Amino acid sequence: MRIDAEKCIGCERCTYYCPVEAIHVAEREDNPKKKRSWIDEDECVECGVCFRANVCKPQAIYQQELKWPRVIRKSFSDPMVEFKETGVPGRGTEEMKTNEITGRFKKGSWGMAVEVGRPAVGARLKDLELIAMALAERGVKFEPRNPVTFLFEDVKSGKLKPELRNEKVLSAIIEFEVKPEQLKPVLQVIKEMSDKVESVFSVDLISHPEEEEKGPALKIVKEMGFPVYPNGKVNLGLGRVLNK
Amino acid sequence: MTHSLHRTGYIEGLEEDFPMLTHVARGYNDIGAGERLKEMAKIARKYTDLNFGDCKVANKFMVPPEEIMEKHTVGWQVVFKDKENLIACMEELKEKNIGISVIVSGLFDEVFDCCQKTGITPPLIEFALGIHGNKEKIWPPEILDFVTMCGHGLVSSNLVKKMLDEVKKNKITIEEAAIELAKPCLCGIFNPHRAAKLLRKLTQ
Repeated sequence: MRIDAEKCIGCERCTYYCPVEAIHVAEREDNPKKKRSWIDEDECVECGVCFRANVCKPQAIYQQELKWPRVIRKSFSDPMVEFKETGVPGRGTEEMKTNEITGRFKKGSWGMAVEVGRPAVGARLKDLELIAMALAERGVKFEPRNPVTFLFEDVKSGKLKPELRNEKVLSAIIEFEVKPEQLKPVLQVIKEMSDKVESVFSVDLISHPEEEEKGPALKIVKEMGFPVYPNGKVNLGLGRVLNK
Repeated sequence: MTHSLHRTGYIEGLEEDFPMLTHVARGYNDIGAGERLKEMAKIARKYTDLNFGDCKVANKFMVPPEEIMEKHTVGWQVVFKDKENLIACMEELKEKNIGISVIVSGLFDEVFDCCQKTGITPPLIEFALGIHGNKEKIWPPEILDFVTMCGHGLVSSNLVKKMLDEVKKNKITIEEAAIELAKPCLCGIFNPHRAAKLLRKLTQ
């Protein structure tokens, strides 16, 4: 996003809406007594919140043309944008939301997700690469339909296309399935990555309901020192196949 | 997407916070899904008017709900503040058997209780295993409780601080501030009722 310096009246209203604090205020070069807002493009994730907030009276905020690799910022920050390279909307996949129809996660294994940049901090994609490469070394195979998978230069190793490493996004999700014997080593890798990344990340575990509070996965998770929130997501199982 | 997971807060706040979302399964029930999603949205909106949205369109504070319902393609979101209405909605969605997947987030004990009361057996659940990494970057808990109500991270911490400040200075009411915070969350899962309660607690 950009702010037209000629139009901006320096009211600062847009600054409060930026989730990554990329909008700053400076003196006008042509009149030091007046202010103008400007966007630090290195920090801006192209989420579009400032534009949609509709608080800029002179309509000085605008979307510049985005080219590769910067366009990736928008794909992983603005939920209104569909990931063009894959046709997958949003930052993830249907994951557990439609599992009663797709059968993607089967009993005997667990789904996992590591979302870099969340909650509400944002992250450079090099953090994602660090975690992905460490997971790949433990034999993790990434979900092929996740938009992140298309960012890898080498999907087996988790190595990103080099031009993407410094791109900043609101969040990006690594999705994968773990077999029982993989869970402990995978959780260990995630713990180790906690000290290595510049930003933050959130971790999810998808399981069948018999897991609840007593199942083997949660026992391991707790033994490994991970917190388990008392709240989460529940698929009600109301979906069915309708396409003919 | 995992955008209704990872909501932080005390139990008493989470007890009044139940996002519900629908999602089509591509290749299985996406053909002609718009009308089905609209029918389901009409049912859900009978039981809650707190928020409603479609992340490919907008939330109800930006676009009229009727207009949002005409544009559904993959799903919609609402949020409930009480179990009674959530249960009634789940019952009707189950009875109508429209065939699109429905997900409810919230305290597991409460959501499982709703499932039991409606005769629903959930096939899959998703747990949040915490925040990791450079925790110095995380906002303090009183701010995090607001911003995690938008899983896409679109609600700014500085907007929360600004609204708190404006409420304290009587420039804006608590209810107006809660709606202003809900606006950036396109999906419509931000809970303005809970936000108002949090604002009240922090400004009194």
